[in-house]
Amino acid sequence: MANPNLIKSSYLIDVVKHRWHYLLISIVILIPCILAMFYLMFTQPNHSPVKLGIDFTGGTILQYGVNNSVTPEQISKIRTELENNGVNNPIIQNISNSSADKNIKNIISIKTRFMGEKNNNQIDKITMVLAQNTQAPQLISTTSVGPTLGKELLKNSLAALLLAFLGIVIYISFRFQADYAIIALAALFHDALFVVGVFAILGILYNVQVDSLFITAILTVVGFSVHDTIVVFDRIRENNRFLAKKYTSGEIINASVNQTLARSLNTSLTTLLTLSALYFFGGSTTKDFILAMILGIIAGTYSSIFFASVLLAWDKEIKAKKANA
Amino acid sequence: MKNKIILFWTIVLIAITCTIVIFKKPTTLGLDLVGGSRLTLEAQTSSTIKKITPEIMDSLQYAIENRVNALGVGETTVQKIGDKRLMIEIPNISDTAKAKEFLGETAELEFKRPKGVTQEGDIIWESTGLTGKDLKKALVGSAPGSGEWIVSIEFNQEGAKKFAHLTRDLVGQQMAIFFNGELKSAPRVNEEITGGHAQITGGDGGFEYQEVKNMVDLLNAGALPVGANIIEENSVGPTLGADSIQKSKVAGAIGLALVMIFMIVYYRAPGVISCIALLIYSIIVFAIFKIIPVTLTLAGIAGFILSIGMAVDANILIFERTKEELRSGRSLFTAINSGFERAFTSIFDSNMTTIITCAILYALGTGVVKGFALTLAIGVLVSMFSAITVTKNFMHLVFGTGELKHPALFGLRAEDIQDAYSATETKKEKAKFGVLD
Repeated sequence: MANPNLIKSSYLIDVVKHRWHYLLISIVILIPCILAMFYLMFTQPNHSPVKLGIDFTGGTILQYGVNNSVTPEQISKIRTELENNGVNNPIIQNISNSSADKNIKNIISIKTRFMGEKNNNQIDKITMVLAQNTQAPQLISTTSVGPTLGKELLKNSLAALLLAFLGIVIYISFRFQADYAIIALAALFHDALFVVGVFAILGILYNVQVDSLFITAILTVVGFSVHDTIVVFDRIRENNRFLAKKYTSGEIINASVNQTLARSLNTSLTTLLTLSALYFFGGSTTKDFILAMILGIIAGTYSSIFFASVLLAWDKEIKAKKANA
Repeated sequence: MKNKIILFWTIVLIAITCTIVIFKKPTTLGLDLVGGSRLTLEAQTSSTIKKITPEIMDSLQYAIENRVNALGVGETTVQKIGDKRLMIEIPNISDTAKAKEFLGETAELEFKRPKGVTQEGDIIWESTGLTGKDLKKALVGSAPGSGEWIVSIEFNQEGAKKFAHLTRDLVGQQMAIFFNGELKSAPRVNEEITGGHAQITGGDGGFEYQEVKNMVDLLNAGALPVGANIIEENSVGPTLGADSIQKSKVAGAIGLALVMIFMIVYYRAPGVISCIALLIYSIIVFAIFKIIPVTLTLAGIAGFILSIGMAVDANILIFERTKEELRSGRSLFTAINSGFERAFTSIFDSNMTTIITCAILYALGTGVVKGFALTLAIGVLVSMFSAITVTKNFMHLVFGTGELKHPALFGLRAEDIQDAYSATETKKEKAKFGVLD
């Protein structure tokens, strides 16, 4: 049974009174994200809203560990020499590395077109060019994805995303009500849009590309976002059961949001603690993946309090007006 | 109270069993952690084979398995993915040049006879119907006298007949041996050869040992029924793998420590309990990983560490609710019980959505994504058990005696606690939850 003492007249967060402030913050943050996505959709030949990595476009990435620091001049020299050796348009990146292995001070990553089994001498040529320009290069990883496989992966990933959306909406409609489900879906889009948008911006600024782990991160964020929203909705559902006769839905939603506030913040905080540990101390291959999740969890916490609840209060208010009229 | 104590010892027993499992069973680590290569091959249709049937895939898998085993690098696995792909995993090697050479070769051995001569004087060869399919086995040998490396072949019954027939026809002429479309040698036939044995010598230049060895391995492994292309490769050197394990361990330990510090500082006594529950949670999850066994990849470890965050969430929901009930003046027992009861629907509904996404990821995802989904799903399921059984049991045992009830234990001040708004309700609640006093 809900405690009637818990309904107060004023709250720190008021999803009815400050409705427009909260929505405005979301809009202001999402606009640059959407613009960046549109920019990439129009400028990229594949019309994707983010820069796609080789997982989706096909290609080969070779990573070499080297024993010396590498200057930008050396990188451009390596690039020219590779092109002279018949390696077309290589994208070369230098990743500094703090590894236990003292022989690997830097990692040079070279991205080229897809190399199948017939192109082994290309790898030999690249190794040769590096041996001439750096100290003790060793091939530490190779990732190669055929172009048809990449397309298939992209298709599967998008199908997974849509299915996840659908599954969640069905579940919430079943456990709550249809309008809760639609609002949870809106909140989830809000969060996914934010993460994808930030990666679009990062793509424009730093050429950050997304891989299949990114889709996983988005799906996890989607799960988390709904998780957060459900905790608030669950409290609204509970309070509604006992207090709906005495109070307006706006008051009930306000009370519910504030009652779950400490939990929402603490959960996000603990999850962010573990993710930050992974980001700063974990391996470099999962960094972008973790970053996507950190962004998504921040967005998810914000949206469950300031977006989903605001929309729900608004929706209930409109419905109440219609019922009275 | 007796039930609670039985439950407590059951939990202790589970924890001990899981610890033993962790120490006894080896962890299955993914190739990105131990170093190794994963190759995906796709069967190619051709003018003769228009459709890849399951039978073709079976024989392709068999042939590929034979070839990979011939590499002699230990625990390799070849498995079918979908209807026209094979995934090959080779641990501990990151230089796949040799493996790839091996997989791409079709191993077609063909015996041909002269048909005519071109204007330049080169011989035109025609097929005889005698191919690698007619072989029983091939061996590395050396030619008596010269000591040159040769491929010694033995035909099966059918092949021996064909070979005898062919050599009888060709006495005094040349016969050609093609391997993968390349002319390897063209010896002159002096007499009919019966008995089903033959030798392939390297012609003028002779063979290198490695060349002979490769040919023998490929011939013994059998020709691929269809062409197969490598469409995906993932190779990680062992140093990079070891580095990733080290970094994940450090990140996991730091993450867990930070969460524990936060929980103790914020929630006090229940926080300490949740830390113990969290440790038990980690032990159980890890033991399940080993029992199934789940192959741990970098993404899988990330999924596990993320699930720690979600496991804590269940505790936070419960403790927040308990605190709220305490603030409104409920007795300690009622507050703890209703904390669990009320938080349960949130925990259940919110975790279900995560399970739904995990199921979809597992069904549609590929290797890396699958690993992540599986570890996260196991983590979430165990976290529900740990929050509802372990944390609740410990809370009952610690606070059930009624000795410990100072508000500071819950991070509350005495003045935060309001008067019970309804004494009768509190009594009823107590009865309902079967409270311990």
